[in-house]
Amino acid sequence: MTPAVAKYVAFARVAAAQVRHERSDLAGRVLFFAVILGVFSSLWRAAVDAGLPVGADSKQLLWYLAITEWITLSTPQIHLDIQDTIRRGDVIYRLGRPASFVLAELAAGLGLLAVRLPVLGLAAVGCAAWFTGWVPPLTALAIVVPIGIAAAVMLTALHVWIGLLAFWLQDVSPVYWVCQKLLFVLGGMMLPLQLYPELVQRLAALTPCPVLLAAPASFVLGSPAMAPRTLIVRLALWSGAIALGMRWTFRRAAADLMINGG
Amino acid sequence: MQPAVQLNRVSKSFRVRRARGGGMTARARDLFRPLTETVQAIDSLSFSIAPGERVAFIGPNGAGKSTTLKVLAGILRPDAGEVRVLGFVPSDERRRLAFHIGTVFGQRSQLWYQLPPRDTFELLGRVYEIDRRQHRRRVEMLTTLFQLDALVDTPVRHLSLGERMRCEIAASLLHSPRLLFLDEPTIGLDVSAKAAIRDLLQTESERERVTLLLTSHDTGDIERVCTRVIVITHGRLLWDGPVAALRSAVIGNRALDEAPLDEVIRALYADGARRRCAP
Repeated sequence: MTPAVAKYVAFARVAAAQVRHERSDLAGRVLFFAVILGVFSSLWRAAVDAGLPVGADSKQLLWYLAITEWITLSTPQIHLDIQDTIRRGDVIYRLGRPASFVLAELAAGLGLLAVRLPVLGLAAVGCAAWFTGWVPPLTALAIVVPIGIAAAVMLTALHVWIGLLAFWLQDVSPVYWVCQKLLFVLGGMMLPLQLYPELVQRLAALTPCPVLLAAPASFVLGSPAMAPRTLIVRLALWSGAIALGMRWTFRRAAADLMINGG
Repeated sequence: MQPAVQLNRVSKSFRVRRARGGGMTARARDLFRPLTETVQAIDSLSFSIAPGERVAFIGPNGAGKSTTLKVLAGILRPDAGEVRVLGFVPSDERRRLAFHIGTVFGQRSQLWYQLPPRDTFELLGRVYEIDRRQHRRRVEMLTTLFQLDALVDTPVRHLSLGERMRCEIAASLLHSPRLLFLDEPTIGLDVSAKAAIRDLLQTESERERVTLLLTSHDTGDIERVCTRVIVITHGRLLWDGPVAALRSAVIGNRALDEAPLDEVIRALYADGARRRCAP
C-alpha cells in the first residue's frame, strides 16, 4: 500500500474505531430497522388479505424494503460532520495537512459504512427472514450484497458532496432532505419502481435514485429492474458524475476560501 | 541563512456584504444587488523570522493575526506582496509545506473526541507519511517528554483541558515540524497547566530548533516562551523587537518602565489607534 493510500485507509480505520465507541447509535438503528420491517410486514400481509392489488408477493416486498433500508440506514450522515467542521472553523486544521480534505472525509464516511453495513445487513436478513419465514434464492442475494455495498458507497459520496455545500450554506439539511425525498419517491424506497406510474418511472430514470435503491433491491423480487451488468455500468457512471461534482464543488470552495477567507 | 518566515509588503483584503437595512424593498435589493465593502485585513505587512526564533505575534482583536497565520499556512492567497515559509510559496505549495509545519489552535481540536489520543497519533503518522518505526519512537519520546503515559490510552472526552492541550501539542510535533504556529495555546487553562505548556514549548523549541510563531492575548505566554514580539494593528506592523525592549516602545510614557507587560501592550495598542486616527 502506498503512503498516499495508507493515509486514507487510516482515516477510514479511525472513523470505524469511533463508531465502535458509539454502540448505542448502532443499536438504535438496528431497533428502528426491526420496527420498520415489523410494521411493513403486517401492513403488506393485511393488504394481501384484504385483496388489495399490491403488485408483488408480500414476502418479496418485505425483502425489497429490507434491502433499500439496509442501504439507506447504513449510509452515514457524513454531511453533518462536514458541516460542523466547516462551521466550527476546524476546516483550517484539515486544509493545513498533507491530505485531501474531500478524500479524508469520504474515507471517514466509508469507515463508518464498513461497520454499519455488516451489522445492519445481518439485522436486515434476520428480521426479513423472521417476519416472512422465507429467504430469496442465494443467487439473488449474491448479486444484491455487492451491488448494495456499491450503492451505499455512492450514497456516502453523495452525502459528502452535500456536506461540501456548507462552505456557502449555513445549513445543508434542506438539501439533504430534498435528496432524501427524491430517493423516497424516485428511488423507490418503499415500493418497487415498477409499481409507479409510467411518468414517474421515466423521470426516475433521469436521476441516480433508481440505481441507488430500487435497482439493487429489485433482485429479490425475481424480476430485476435491469441486468446486473447494466446496473454496474450505471453505478460507475453516476459515481463518476458525483466524483466530478465533488471535485468541482471543493475547488470552487477552496478558491473562494483562498480569495475571501473563511 | 534562509529565514523560516519572510513576508514582504503583503496585503490581503476581503469583500464583505453590508445590509442596507430598512424594509422589504431594501431586503429585496440586498438579495439581488448586495452592497459589498472591502475590509483590509493585512496592509503591506513585512517581517522575517529566523529559524529557531520564538516570536509572539500579537495585536488587538481584528488586527489581522489569524489572516496572517492563514496566509503563512497557505490557506489564504495574499492580494499583493511576497510570502515565503521555509522556502515554499505557501499558497502555491500548501501540500508540500504542510509536511514541515505544525499548528495548534487553542480553541480547536485535532484529536478524535471519542478515541484515545494514541489513535489520532497513529492517524497523523500516516497522514504525514512517517516511517512506522520512526513514528513509534517519536510517539514514545513525546509521551515521555510531555508526561502522557497515563493519557495516551484514555479517550479524549475524559481528559481535562490542560491534559488535552498537552496531547494537542504532542500531536502537532509528531512529524518534527520546523515551524509551529500556535494560536492561543493556553486559553482557558489554569495557572499550573499554563506553566506546564509554556515550559514544554520553550524546551521543545530549544531542543529541536523549532521556530515558534505564537499568537496570544496572555502576556505570560509572551514573556515565558518568546524572545521577540511582533505587534500589528489594523493589518499594519506597529512594533517589532525583543520582548525585553517592548517597554521602551511606548515613547514618552516613563511610568510604564516598571509596569506589567499587559499594561505596556495596552498602551502600545492605544498609541497605534491614535496614530491611525491622526490626520
